[in-house]
Amino acid sequence: MAEVCSPLRLPLIAGHKKPGTVTEDVCRPMLRPPSTLWWAGFTLAFSLLLLGVAAISYQIATGVGTWGLNTSVGWAFDITNFVFWVGIGHAGTLISAILFLFRQKWRTSVNRSAEAMTLFAVMCAGIFPVIHTGRPWLAYWLFPYPNTRGPLWINFRSPLAWDCFAISTYFLISATFWYVGLIPDLATIRDRLVEQSSAVSPGGLKARPAALGLRQRLFSIFSLGWNGSYRVWQHYEVLYLLLAGLATPLVVSVHTIVSWDFATAVIPGWHATIFPPYFVAGAIFSGIAMVLTLMIVARKAMNLEDYITLRHVDVMCKLLLLTSSIVALAYGTEFFTAFYSGNPYETFVFKNRALGPFAWAYWTMVSCNVLVPQFLWFRSVRRRLGIVFVLTLFVNVGMWFERFVIIVTSLHRDFLPSSWAMYRPTIVEVSTLLGSFGLFFTCFLIFCRVLPVIAMGEVKAVLHHGNGNGGPA
Amino acid sequence: MENQYWRSLEEREHFGDGGGEFQESPLRQIEPDQSRRGFLKAAGFAFAGGSLIGCSRAPAEKAMPYLSQPEGLVAGRAQYYASTCAGCSAGCGLLVKVHDGRPIKLEGNPEQAIGRGATCAVGQASILGLYDSLRLRQPLAEGKPTSWTEVDAAIRSHLKRDTAVRYLSGTITSPAKQAAIDRFLTQFHNAQHVMYDALSASAILDAHQQTHDARVLPHYRFDRADVIVSFDADFLGTWISPVEFAHDYTSRRLPPDRSWHAQFEARMSLTGTKADRRMKIAPGEIQERLLRLLRQVESANAGGDEVAERLLRSRSRSLVLCGANDVDAQVIVNQVNHLLGNYGNTLDIERPSRQRRGNDRELAKLLNEIKAGHVGALFMDGVNPMAELPEPPELGRVGLVVSLAGSLDETAERAHYVCPDHHYLESWSDAEPIAGLISLTQPAIRPLGQTRAIIESLSIWSGQPERAYDLLRQKYASNWERSVQAGIVQVEVGQAGPPAKWRDGQPKPPTPPSDSSGHTLVLYPGVAMLDGRHAYNPWLHELPDPITKITWDNCASLSPATAASFGLTDGDVVRIESMELPVVVQPGQHDSVIAVALGYGRKASERFANIGPHWIDRGPTVNAKGHVGENAARFLSLDGGVLRYERAGVHIAKTRRHIELAATQTHHTMEGRAIVQEVALKELGKPPETADVSEELWPPDHPTTGHRWAMAIDLNACTGCSACVLACQVENNTPVVGRDEVRRRREMHWIRIDRYYSGTPDDVEVAHQPMMCQQCEHAPCETVCPTLATVHSDEGLNQQIYNRCVGTRYCANNCPYKTRRFNWFNYPREDRLANLVLNPDVTVRTRGVMEKCTFCVQRIQEAKINSKHNGAPIQDGDTRTACQQCCPASAIVFGDLNDSKSRIARLAKDGRQYRVLEELNVGPSVHYLKIVRQEDQRNG
Amino acid sequence: MMRSRILTIVLGVAVLFSGMLLASRSSMFRLPGNHQGYEPVQPIAYSHRLHAGEMQIQCQYCHFGADKSRHAGIPPASVCMNCHKFVTAPLGAVRAEDELAGKEKRPPRPIVSTELSKLFNAVESSRPIAWTRIHSLPDFVYFDHRPHVNAGVACQQCHGPVETMERVRQVADLSMGWCVNCHRDANRTGIMGKRVKASTNCSTCHY
Repeated sequence: MAEVCSPLRLPLIAGHKKPGTVTEDVCRPMLRPPSTLWWAGFTLAFSLLLLGVAAISYQIATGVGTWGLNTSVGWAFDITNFVFWVGIGHAGTLISAILFLFRQKWRTSVNRSAEAMTLFAVMCAGIFPVIHTGRPWLAYWLFPYPNTRGPLWINFRSPLAWDCFAISTYFLISATFWYVGLIPDLATIRDRLVEQSSAVSPGGLKARPAALGLRQRLFSIFSLGWNGSYRVWQHYEVLYLLLAGLATPLVVSVHTIVSWDFATAVIPGWHATIFPPYFVAGAIFSGIAMVLTLMIVARKAMNLEDYITLRHVDVMCKLLLLTSSIVALAYGTEFFTAFYSGNPYETFVFKNRALGPFAWAYWTMVSCNVLVPQFLWFRSVRRRLGIVFVLTLFVNVGMWFERFVIIVTSLHRDFLPSSWAMYRPTIVEVSTLLGSFGLFFTCFLIFCRVLPVIAMGEVKAVLHHGNGNGGPA
Repeated sequence: MENQYWRSLEEREHFGDGGGEFQESPLRQIEPDQSRRGFLKAAGFAFAGGSLIGCSRAPAEKAMPYLSQPEGLVAGRAQYYASTCAGCSAGCGLLVKVHDGRPIKLEGNPEQAIGRGATCAVGQASILGLYDSLRLRQPLAEGKPTSWTEVDAAIRSHLKRDTAVRYLSGTITSPAKQAAIDRFLTQFHNAQHVMYDALSASAILDAHQQTHDARVLPHYRFDRADVIVSFDADFLGTWISPVEFAHDYTSRRLPPDRSWHAQFEARMSLTGTKADRRMKIAPGEIQERLLRLLRQVESANAGGDEVAERLLRSRSRSLVLCGANDVDAQVIVNQVNHLLGNYGNTLDIERPSRQRRGNDRELAKLLNEIKAGHVGALFMDGVNPMAELPEPPELGRVGLVVSLAGSLDETAERAHYVCPDHHYLESWSDAEPIAGLISLTQPAIRPLGQTRAIIESLSIWSGQPERAYDLLRQKYASNWERSVQAGIVQVEVGQAGPPAKWRDGQPKPPTPPSDSSGHTLVLYPGVAMLDGRHAYNPWLHELPDPITKITWDNCASLSPATAASFGLTDGDVVRIESMELPVVVQPGQHDSVIAVALGYGRKASERFANIGPHWIDRGPTVNAKGHVGENAARFLSLDGGVLRYERAGVHIAKTRRHIELAATQTHHTMEGRAIVQEVALKELGKPPETADVSEELWPPDHPTTGHRWAMAIDLNACTGCSACVLACQVENNTPVVGRDEVRRRREMHWIRIDRYYSGTPDDVEVAHQPMMCQQCEHAPCETVCPTLATVHSDEGLNQQIYNRCVGTRYCANNCPYKTRRFNWFNYPREDRLANLVLNPDVTVRTRGVMEKCTFCVQRIQEAKINSKHNGAPIQDGDTRTACQQCCPASAIVFGDLNDSKSRIARLAKDGRQYRVLEELNVGPSVHYLKIVRQEDQRNG
Repeated sequence: MMRSRILTIVLGVAVLFSGMLLASRSSMFRLPGNHQGYEPVQPIAYSHRLHAGEMQIQCQYCHFGADKSRHAGIPPASVCMNCHKFVTAPLGAVRAEDELAGKEKRPPRPIVSTELSKLFNAVESSRPIAWTRIHSLPDFVYFDHRPHVNAGVACQQCHGPVETMERVRQVADLSMGWCVNCHRDANRTGIMGKRVKASTNCSTCHY
């Protein structure tokens, strides 16, 4: 019947699922012991994490000098990683909140993991502002609190101070949003566990609470006594809508504020008005890319092909293409302003980016973020998961380099040639970056094991979408 | 800050040798393993360090008052003692700042004519020698510690009336010491005092022997010279008496009586960077050029030669100098100066200089005597022949070798007995740098070890023990107290030198360079290391060379063309005969020349093996030999009775090695940005075209009611000598970070001197620009600091509060001038003795904290408190920054912009005034004065 | 259901109770670095109450550095000896001895109090007395007595009623807030009627 349907009516979920089977499919990976593949991934991620922990402990014990920074280049990997991870952290809220408000039904099968990813990314990001300070043990001075110094508050004019608020707000809201979204599914799993245990327990269907295992306990606690009644569902929907509304401005605000770290500075290459939109677009770009990277692996590993269909990939690829072109426009604009402003310092910085000692980084960035995504114009490419997977990897690399280029090339050659310097990362910095990836993937892999990677509740709601003419579409 | 010199003899006794508060010197307790509190206890008040943060209860901190406090001494107040610098033989006057018994800073003594209140980098750094933990604490016999009585007995038993005694010393400017030496030597039938200078001017003295019958070094008067023509004489950097010369020279660099300066030189010297006309010349060609000049002057016909023209136009008001240690050349120079009638005007030999008295011919003779084994006893004082001479003397053939060095250098190692001298800040002495100008040296602290003044050692060995103090006391009995207080002795002005009798002698024809193949190796003293006597001093090693900006190394500098011909770039290691050195490409250098700095590769620099922060990726500061740099002294030659500093026919070979040089500046052009601005002489009078001063839309965000501190730096005066860099380091407790950290561009100096090249490769112009925190009105650093650790004061200061700083480095990133310095590590301060030099008025910064120039706010505070105390407002000049205080060129002026009568207020309106990066509208408080360039004769 | 409710109530009460408990003891809790009330035993039991209080000796007679230097200074033993050359023991004890001697028809024996003998020993053996420091600021704070004394700030304003103390105690908490707020007040109200400019720039104390 597909050929008589408009594309809008194409099914979101393949394989004619029933709600029961959905639950089955989603819960299966959680209830069976981890696969060797999972273990392999986990071991790798965790060892990276340990490496990072070692690097950070060494750096905190010895000093920021263990990074390759110098008087002219005061930031490099640290803030690059920070901005990179914050950027990654944008897809989740975008997908769950904005697409929700736009009633994009296809989001349902990816939003859960996207949100989880957001949280972990923001966690990774949060590390760097702390450890990049010379005296991390005093980093709490970045927050205003009553004190005996007269009192002495923080500098509310400083973008770094704004960052603290932006990031912490973003983390709290997305965490809440994610958790609220989880509640119905937690309840489902709770009930399944109860059934299981009761199935084995001699006491028949009436399982005594004492017999509940730890997992059941936790699930029952965190599902907040959800009973799936009409009232509960209604409250839930309202709350979810409100949170979505609350989270939406954050998607824009966070990276806008992060971009002010640079935009409000006087350094040529930083001091630019286009930074907020430029950074937000970039953030979404990298976020979507990371979601795709993870999804393509996840759907294969956890055989969720029916839920995360080619159509999802296709849509997200289009999003990638869009944001990529916004970013490309921004790159162009930067050069145009530099040339048009006639400001010698500005002009020089961009000449230096394209032709200077860090040209390799610049061109890596351009080719990964602008050239490579152009393949996505082709439907055939968008449908070849392998290729898409590789493309997204490129985009991730490219976006990391974008931040690196913005920070380092602007700093290493600014106003006075006498203070021009080069920057070379040390092993400690590199390990810290790897460590942050370690943390990210460790968290994500654990998440895949212990929580439903797909929002069962929401998927069930769109099961019938495009399948026949039933169902609330 | 009004200086309090010492006020009473009683107190003098407390700091002098006299019986003091304690049985034994309090400072003797200081061993590196002891706490610095032990010292402070003794010295007066023990308000020992140790931050209280984190203690729940106050730690039991002891406060120990004197039993009876010396009159006039107030704990916590600095005292100033007039003295004389012994960093080199120039003899600048000093005011030693003593805080709670510790000398912590040297400042120039304005009343003394050599320094005129200024000092050089070496002088500033020499205070660290006092706290050098490797200085000898007691005499050594055969390398083993022993007592003075034993050493004296042993030495006197060795000395018979007919022993051939030789006393080998550097230039002795101290009359008292000279007398002591003579008295000591008169005991013996066959005794001689031989003086030599590692940086010899012997040829000049020999030449005057020939032309004037007097072996004297003229006193050069740059302040009287309208035209200065210098042949390879780096008189602003290292030649004879740089501070005095720099002061005199710069006093004449502005219209109406601006002097004209031509420099003929082989390498790029500090002096060359300031010349109006700079000509590259190979060392071999100097004599020819001089002869040509001589003929032009004789025939009074310049023949279109600008230099000769100008010389002839200003007879008796010109000055021709030559730095080459070559008698023939110097004779010609004397003739030229004689014909121009400069003697008695710009060259004074009535009251000649005594700053170089060495005689290389006698040195050569002595070395032969030693070789022949004719020397019975050799005393060495202030020299290190094992390291300074082309071939080390065979001390093995000498019966008794006594070194009077303060520390165990290459020579002292081989001596039978080492009788360590005091550091000059511990001793009574005097100096006569210019005949008739006597400057006193008084101890600012009791000897830290059981050392003994050479004067006293000699008097004991001559059998009539006398204390240096008594000697001087008798010598300058008249008006003693005033003399000691002022640091100078007024002597009745009389015929000090011999009558300048001109005796004609035909100049010899120029000797052609012996070997024309290969290159000429030129050995020169670096501005910091000089002849290497301060190789122990980390401050000087980390001081960037004013031209190359390289620290912690001596390099083989080649001209760009030569380097290109060998395919060499900065840091490539080349082999010069047996010596391997990294290359540095030096614009403005003669193509046939390889220049290498002396004074490196010394034993004293072995101590730096562990300097700097310790972490996994740290690089070494010393080279494979364990030294800093290479000792190039072996390439000197002592022939024709003079030490020669250039050697022709040297061949260099590439090696495969490349090392990264520790340079504080790696980009050398201004990229066409108006950073250092210049004005042509003829434009000077004209009113400045009103710069595009954009109207402020907003009211000033930091209105200053009281003071508004600001600084002006005259780039025309600045010679780049880097004294300010060191003065700042001493005043503000800036750490030394070591070679590897500098290589990573993490040097900590609060003031740096940017050096830019312009012009064409073969006629390169050089500009020096001191750059420190510009104390901006709308400071970019202030808006971005999240913790309010850097904020604006209501006196226009950009304050940096270390204890509030968490170290985000955002401020440094946002600083257009990149003058902020970050403490990347806890820089080691293990050497507790060296820590005694720390200025108690400035916090020692910990790891992870940003720091920068404060305009010496501690001095401002002192001045303000004093003015409150006296109820008189602060006068212009009451508060002077450390950099300003020591500047020989008086290029730095600091003061209150709101005080309309102040110098700074005037200079801020000067026609040459401009501010760096003014277009950013950050409103820097540091005003620069443009360089005045001679408009080119040839094209208009 | 019921159980959990009881539990909640119990917990709530417990929290409330301990909160009250802490509040009542709050004076005992202070931030690290705050040594308010520090009152160490000194090597010589010198009594400010006696000297500054009863004898009315001016503070700056002994602490003569206060208007000349950053440090008010602890008097050198010689200053003590100015009086204690003659005063060797409490007046009462000396009088008693005199009377006794008068009765017994003998020259009075010199009486030296134990505390003062410590001082005399120190002077004879020329070993300085190691007093325990009380008012002590972190190394990054540069307090200077001069401007305060010269502006007419009473010693007691920071050091408290020393003239009533047997053993000196740190009265103020010496926190930055304490300094700054005093400066602010001084700028508003002036000191002893006289207008003053007590700077609140950071670099007044930190450099």
